[in-house]
Amino acid sequence: MRQARSNFQVPTRFPGPAGGASSLLGGFGGCFAPETLMQNLLDLETSWLEAREDPEFQLELDLLLTTYAGRATPLSDAPRLSELVGAEVLLKREDLLHTGAHKLNNTIGQCLLAKRAGKTRIIAETGAGQHGVASATTAARLGLECVVYMGARDAARQAPNVSRMKLLGARVELVESGAQTLKDAVDEAMRAWVEDPDGSHYVLGSALGPHPFPRIVADFQSVIGREARAQVKERTGGRPDAVVACVGGGSNAIGIFRGFLDDEDVELVGVEAGGQGVETGAHAARFSGGSPGVLHGTHTYLLQDGGGQVRETTSVSAGLDYPAVGPEHAALHALGRARYGAASDEAALAAFQVLAKREGILPALETSHAVAWIMENAEELRGKRVLVNLSGRGDKDLDTVLRVLGERL
Amino acid sequence: MTDVDRNRLVRTTARLLASGSTGIAPYLTAGDGGFARTRSLLEAVERAGASCVELGVPFSDPIADGPVLQAAAARALDGGATLDGVVQCVRDYRARGGALPLICFSYLNPLLSGGVEARLDELADAGFDGLLVPDLPVEESGALSEAARGRGLTLSLFCAPTTSPERLAEAAERTTGFLYVVGRVGVTGRSTAVGDETSTWLGAVRAAAPGVPLGLGFGLRTPEQVASLRGRAELAIVGSALVDAIHHAGAAASPSGADAAAAAEAERYVTALVAAASAAGGFEAP
Repeated sequence: MRQARSNFQVPTRFPGPAGGASSLLGGFGGCFAPETLMQNLLDLETSWLEAREDPEFQLELDLLLTTYAGRATPLSDAPRLSELVGAEVLLKREDLLHTGAHKLNNTIGQCLLAKRAGKTRIIAETGAGQHGVASATTAARLGLECVVYMGARDAARQAPNVSRMKLLGARVELVESGAQTLKDAVDEAMRAWVEDPDGSHYVLGSALGPHPFPRIVADFQSVIGREARAQVKERTGGRPDAVVACVGGGSNAIGIFRGFLDDEDVELVGVEAGGQGVETGAHAARFSGGSPGVLHGTHTYLLQDGGGQVRETTSVSAGLDYPAVGPEHAALHALGRARYGAASDEAALAAFQVLAKREGILPALETSHAVAWIMENAEELRGKRVLVNLSGRGDKDLDTVLRVLGERL
Repeated sequence: MTDVDRNRLVRTTARLLASGSTGIAPYLTAGDGGFARTRSLLEAVERAGASCVELGVPFSDPIADGPVLQAAAARALDGGATLDGVVQCVRDYRARGGALPLICFSYLNPLLSGGVEARLDELADAGFDGLLVPDLPVEESGALSEAARGRGLTLSLFCAPTTSPERLAEAAERTTGFLYVVGRVGVTGRSTAVGDETSTWLGAVRAAAPGVPLGLGFGLRTPEQVASLRGRAELAIVGSALVDAIHHAGAAASPSGADAAAAAEAERYVTALVAAASAAGGFEAP
């Protein structure tokens, strides 16, 4: 039998997730989970570390990613957006992945881990529904039972994805507590896992939660950055000056950032949801309006009140509407390796229309925040090469966008 | 008091262990029904003969709790409860002569708010004796344990049926006050039959943690269950069932009499449990 503590390894690139005492002393990450989940988390870490080194696992993963999910995703020029911004904009097209977002990279990896551990059922939470759809899709393909927890408010604003999950054979549990958004769905999914730690695997959808989830999710999403770095080099012979991605939990962002961490001349930019404006308090911009704390098993930046109660968030995009950011982003922020900005609902909606009308792409509202940031920072980016992670497609958001833009159409 | 060995909770659990008896540890959600009610509940369970109290700090995201304690925390937060309010409530209880060992049951984040050192100073100064943090496994407990010890506070750790022998040994070595034994897998509130499985599990914990007082929680509600723990666990922790009974007693009474009705129900409920725990035989495991 192994020693418990030795399983919590500190990665070499940056000080997070941090195990043990350092988590209370300014380190980010850690494993702040109820005792009944600990053995599961330890087993998951062991299983993942073994799978990483197992050529058969990697082969199965690669095969599913290429022949089922549709990897590699293309790198697109964006000539008319580039003209508008005055920078050379390149788009990493995760929206073209099967199910329409980067989420599938992670669900395929984690569901393979679940099968490897002999689990027959997966639990997932979802905000925008993209992770729920990816989980339901993968569960169907691999023959796993799937239960998805979704805030009732999110289910109402992302109705097409609720239908998709059901048609894919998943059970969708609507969460009526709290603000009925992603935070409440995570609360309920974690409780469901506490209730059935032996039979179920919790497929956490972002680079969040107790160790080892943030690292596992970042690992499975890092395929985005590996591909993008090679594609940019092939296309241009060089590197981007900046890599920009939206950040909810932050899995698409950490996935693309991972490809460029060692390229110190490449600026990494995460864009959070500015909601109605960071100054109004109605937003989900953790780095602008939050402070370090522990939520859902990890030590990171949170939106919270002075007494440590977690605040409700506001964003037009359900996928960014969450009060905690992934701990690896907190560590990159602390190190100064990445910078984090925010884009408001209004700016994101404007960017959505620009990408639609100038490039023929309907992006997810989450992704629209990244596009909004480069439009708002065009002056700084002038003449530079900017890689944007186009993390998802916007079909799920048509109702929301049409409603908000109603009068202006 | 700065020496953890002279702490009220440590003395109480040591005495229970030495005498082979089981005490009752009620869990109360602080601020549910207002802090005036919380203080009168503390006094009521003290009259009833409780051995200590787990005073729950309401939190916005209680991931280890079932529907009853989630609802209690939500009611408390809706009523404006804060950790500052909990601290003041304990000060008032102590000022009126309250002598029970008090355990601050809190998810980690409220304890970190405003700086963990300052928070623990306040808790110790107000008259708390220990901490229980449901999202703090042994791997992450070092810094908080040290900070607590320096202030004469215990930090009790958890073990569950899923805990490996290695981690159980480590929790037993590092826990202070008592070791919280989770009676079954799952969130709080569902009933636990104290049957052979729980007895075997408690026996395994006792063997792995000789000389460590044990507190069994998760799903205890009846005198029969409590009676069956005699000699196997030093503390029987009763949470959801009690919180539910108190809430309903308060809700059924007129607004002006709600706090008194809630306190009377708490006293009645805990008195029955204390009697069952101390009766010489008479109850069998269900």
